[in-house]
Amino acid sequence: MNLQVSREDLLKQIGYKDSPQPRLLAMVVEMLGLLEGLVEPRQAFRQIQDEKDLPAFLSGAVLKYAGAVTLGPKLEDKVKDLFDRGKPAEAYILDIAGSIAVTKAGNTLWNEIREDAAANGSKKGLRRTPGCRGIDLETQQWVFEKLADIDLGIELTSSYMMSPRKSVSFLARFGGKLKGSFSCKGCRQYADCTLRSSK
Amino acid sequence: MDIIKEIYDAVMEGKVDEAASRVQQALNAKAETNDILNKGLIAAMDVVGEKFGEGELFIPQVLWSAKAMQAGMDLLKPHFSSTDRTEKGTVVIGTAKGDIHDIGKNLVAIMLEGSGFKVADLGVDVTPERFIEKAIEVKADVIAMSALLTTTMPSMGEVVSLIKAKKLPFKVIVGGAPVDQTFCQEIGADAYGMDAADGMRKIKGLLGR
Repeated sequence: MNLQVSREDLLKQIGYKDSPQPRLLAMVVEMLGLLEGLVEPRQAFRQIQDEKDLPAFLSGAVLKYAGAVTLGPKLEDKVKDLFDRGKPAEAYILDIAGSIAVTKAGNTLWNEIREDAAANGSKKGLRRTPGCRGIDLETQQWVFEKLADIDLGIELTSSYMMSPRKSVSFLARFGGKLKGSFSCKGCRQYADCTLRSSK
Repeated sequence: MDIIKEIYDAVMEGKVDEAASRVQQALNAKAETNDILNKGLIAAMDVVGEKFGEGELFIPQVLWSAKAMQAGMDLLKPHFSSTDRTEKGTVVIGTAKGDIHDIGKNLVAIMLEGSGFKVADLGVDVTPERFIEKAIEVKADVIAMSALLTTTMPSMGEVVSLIKAKKLPFKVIVGGAPVDQTFCQEIGADAYGMDAADGMRKIKGLLGR
């Protein structure tokens, strides 16, 4: 899985649009070097045949999937270690790099699911992450029940959060009546969103 | 150059070792400790906070400055008497019950410490009762809570309810990705921090400092 994070993407995510100072650039390069040795991705997806207890989002779909991917625990252990050793700037930069990497990992998994769906005759699909866009966070439990026999190294907390934190899970549906694509314009924080303005 | 100005510059530029050595130099030269603190360390950190709020500085630079200020404070503290108030206030901080995301909360804690606040960091997944217990223990001025998900936000309201029910003097500030001013008002919190710099500004405002 290619999860390489570019220097430019990382700087942009931190907020820099122009050339950063050499000290910061050196730190970014150092953290990107560290990231490579800390990421141990594991992923899995499964096509769902069982209609029992199906989340509403998947109802009526021709093909239904549950999937998850994680970067493993080493990355966040290192972030914690850097914080504990009084290196918060390094910890912050490494954490941001990890967030970019796990987004890429999620996209990679999504592409594999799409390929699988295409091979089964469905090209158009949608994915949703538990806790977002109308999917209850409790649905996380359903996703991991479907993947229970695969050793992903992801554990759910009692509040349905994933550990390691740099993990992504989702439901995917293909075929049937697809709802319109999501727009973030309805969000109350649309005007102030730092993620949107940094793009 | 004036040694206080050199301390100010070292903090502004986030030079940790230089800030420490200049503070030591100032102490050796019998400079006024209040000048070192207020005109050097705090003045610089205030400007750093403002520039961050205005988008001129980014988080890594603020963290460097906060570390530089802390390094200076560590040398300075033994020179104040036990009755001198060197902190701007005491803040109990943590991530709301059920939430395990702590990067944002950690950054705010470091920036608050760097700005001269005493911070009691309770970590993640903090129950409302634990927030109250710790705030009483450290005689906190402010309880600061963070949440990343809408599902963990309600426990912030429980903290506010406990404070009101027990008639405790703590101010409450809330922040985190899904939190906004409307939610802050709904639960009866005293302030909403849009980001770390805004949070610091609001906390200073709450305490009149």
